Amino acid sequence: MTARGWIFLGVGLLASLALFSFEASQQVDVARWPQLLSATSPLSLDELILVYSLLPRAAVALVAGAALGLSGALLQQLLRNPIADPSTLGISAGAQLTIVAATLYAPEIVDGHRTAVALGGAGLAAAIVFALGWRKAFEPVTMVVSGLLVGVTAAALSAAMTLAQGEYLMSLVTWNGGSLSQQDWSVFNALAVEFVIAAFLSALLIRPLLVLGLGDTSARSLGVSLGGFRFAIAAIATALAGFVAAGVGLVSFVGLAAPAFVRACGARRPAMIITLSPLAGGLFLWLCDGIVQFVARSSSENFPTGAITALVGGPLLFWLLPKVRSMEVPHEAPVSTRRLPFGRGILALLLLVPVILILAFFIGSTGTGWKILSPIEAADLAPLRWPRLLAAAAAGGLLSLTGAILQRMTGNAMASPEVVGVSGGAGLGFAAALTVAPDGGTFSLFMGAGIGALVAMAAVLAFASRRDLPPEKLLLAGIAVGSFSSSILSVLLAIGDQRSWQILAWLGGSASTATPATALFLAALSAVIFTGSLLFSRWLTILPFGPSVAHALGLPVRASRVGMLVVCGAATGAASLLVGPLSFVGLIAPHIARRAGFAMAGPHMAASFVLGAVLMAFADFGARTATFPYELPLGLFAALVCAPYLIWLVGRK
Amino acid sequence: MAQAPLRIAAIDWGMLETLMALGVTPIAATELIQFRKDAVEPIIPPDVVDLGLRGSPNYELLHLLRPDLILISPFYTRHEAALKAIAPILSLPFYVRGEPPFEKALAAVQALGERLAVPEKAVSVLAGIGTEIEDYRRMLAPFADRPTYLVNIGDARHVRVFGFDSMFGDVLARLGLGNAWTDRSRFTFAAPVPVENLAADKDARIVVISQIPLEARSGLRNSIIWNSLPPVREGRIIMLDNINPYGGVTAGIRFARLLTEGLLALGHGK
Repeated sequence: MTARGWIFLGVGLLASLALFSFEASQQVDVARWPQLLSATSPLSLDELILVYSLLPRAAVALVAGAALGLSGALLQQLLRNPIADPSTLGISAGAQLTIVAATLYAPEIVDGHRTAVALGGAGLAAAIVFALGWRKAFEPVTMVVSGLLVGVTAAALSAAMTLAQGEYLMSLVTWNGGSLSQQDWSVFNALAVEFVIAAFLSALLIRPLLVLGLGDTSARSLGVSLGGFRFAIAAIATALAGFVAAGVGLVSFVGLAAPAFVRACGARRPAMIITLSPLAGGLFLWLCDGIVQFVARSSSENFPTGAITALVGGPLLFWLLPKVRSMEVPHEAPVSTRRLPFGRGILALLLLVPVILILAFFIGSTGTGWKILSPIEAADLAPLRWPRLLAAAAAGGLLSLTGAILQRMTGNAMASPEVVGVSGGAGLGFAAALTVAPDGGTFSLFMGAGIGALVAMAAVLAFASRRDLPPEKLLLAGIAVGSFSSSILSVLLAIGDQRSWQILAWLGGSASTATPATALFLAALSAVIFTGSLLFSRWLTILPFGPSVAHALGLPVRASRVGMLVVCGAATGAASLLVGPLSFVGLIAPHIARRAGFAMAGPHMAASFVLGAVLMAFADFGARTATFPYELPLGLFAALVCAPYLIWLVGRK
Repeated sequence: MAQAPLRIAAIDWGMLETLMALGVTPIAATELIQFRKDAVEPIIPPDVVDLGLRGSPNYELLHLLRPDLILISPFYTRHEAALKAIAPILSLPFYVRGEPPFEKALAAVQALGERLAVPEKAVSVLAGIGTEIEDYRRMLAPFADRPTYLVNIGDARHVRVFGFDSMFGDVLARLGLGNAWTDRSRFTFAAPVPVENLAADKDARIVVISQIPLEARSGLRNSIIWNSLPPVREGRIIMLDNINPYGGVTAGIRFARLLTEGLLALGHGK
């Protein structure tokens, strides 16, 4: 640690102390503080609040921050990845999902077994992310992208469940926001014990962990069994995140910030980073909480502290990105040597279209069973059904096309519209439009989301435009934008008013808001973008061979990437208005198309487009009928349809 | 000329209550499973069709029911165009930030009565509400010297506090009782307040509206701060059954009745 580092730590400590003392002196006059210790007379209410609310709150902030800091430091060391932490790896979101689900469907379990529930979710999410990263030797970008996907899915599921229960679930919202307010010392006691045990275990593991840092081969030659240690460290880090989640809720990015701060202050040796990160994390969270309390006292606006730490996350990720050294992972070899003749392949796909049309127009659910509609009934309902069908299909096509372009361009099979940050930007624009023009209707929302998507994309581009837009930097910048926007959305949710409800609804994605006009617009847009994107075929054939080959062939690498990204942004922004930020269609349709043998760029894009449209049209049918008359969010249903494929992908050798 | 009764669908819960108060049963309404649990009153007959979530009502089902009129509030602006395509809509405001909603609920009775061509029924309903409020006000007069916190327990650490621009706060004022929460209303979608904020007024009483969530019960029982709040310690606390916080006149009157019963049972001086 440099002197500057210690000064920073000292200033942070002083600022936190000052904020705390101010808050405490507002509650109980400083002159009476010494009497609190003697405890001869029963405490007055104000004194009780100081002793059982303010003090434990500060203590919880310190220990929760320390736990998250340790968790982040361990994960970063384990994965040799400077942007790994419980929030970027989706672990916190997994814990959140199980708590939400348990609160809704088995509240008696949550009362008393909160920790077990949160640990279950954290463990599950971590298992999925690590399984996804396994085949790629836990390569940093793949891990973070998988974490993002798991996190977004968990968040969308939580949102849909909350929404399905009406708007009265305050405890979920406070929990989601990560509020640190305390009533007694119980949370602190539990967290402190858990943290001390975890810290002790990680101290035992530190030596092998440092050897791990030398790389697999050298570690093996030193006779360290890697698997066991890796597993143990991952389990400790995951458990720490779960403990914090159970105690105070979703507090994001502290695990990212603490080690980053310690490194920035000059700590180089892994042992040093792991030792100091809990300290930095505790201070950071205490400081944030002090600011939150100060704001609450002076403006009577209560923000959950977790929402504030999340705001720091986005900018922090941007700052850290240059430090991410992506390991040289060879671009994916073609997954299949099989080549499908394009004509025959696309014909097979198009054969699905009449099936979908019949399902969409002639099948109805009655709540208890299925019904085949007569032509008259079908004609009667058609004006209600075609706009949402067309809009869903167009959105699915747009998202899949985007996914195909991004996957080919970055050479990363996990690239998808959710990942490039455009969906997040669209959400921010959506929220801004709601704020500026609460009664503006669909058009202003559409414009808002579109502008938001473009701005987010511009930010990603601006960041990644140094040095040839390296694809993995692009993905990471997208993730940073996405995290930032989702944290702003969660602050808005925490303020809570009519907007919150609409934001929640958007997060789930609903097709029923499609009107004939928006459906036709989306369809026209998808036709234009599809035609336009076929012009990219040559670029997308050459780019995967790397920038040098592309330069040699006279390809304008930068310009081509910018052009394609602009198209991707516009397509995603438009589609996400209808589908919400998540669907997975853009991730899996290009995947399936490629595995089926659409190997060349042009056919790949065309097949992805058709497959995405078919998948989303089917999802619309499902969302409409599965729980009739209660409609499921479209984006969520699509994600549920696609999830089995992702799981199969993980299980595959 | 005898007219067939209008086929009405209610999307907004406040409108549903207003319609039922006028003695008209809709053919369909939204989220009835939740409504029967959270709002309790009015009793919705079992043959009223459930239209699904308020956030995404089932247009198709609504279309098949061929309503003559759809009742919404400005919360549903996003759905207005689609609903208009099915049947004429009537949108009346209930909850506007910073404005007392009971007044708006009364105005809605009037407006809906006129729209349904039963203005005399609206007048008699409003007169009945006026008398009922007046009766409760008289009974509650001995309780008027103590301010009241109206809260809803979120989890063991947070409550929602109902201010003057909530239905309950507005009715409380009409009953002649003071609201201990003088800050601007915290009654919105979430806006939770830490429990210790209820310590500001030590002489107040606390009225807990709607059942305490299962997952918060043991936490609240053991909470030192909660148990040392003067109203809790000195027994100046009553629990009311579920009441719809986004309701109309029925919810308002249900609150007035439950509050009066609760306070009378608690006894004078508390």
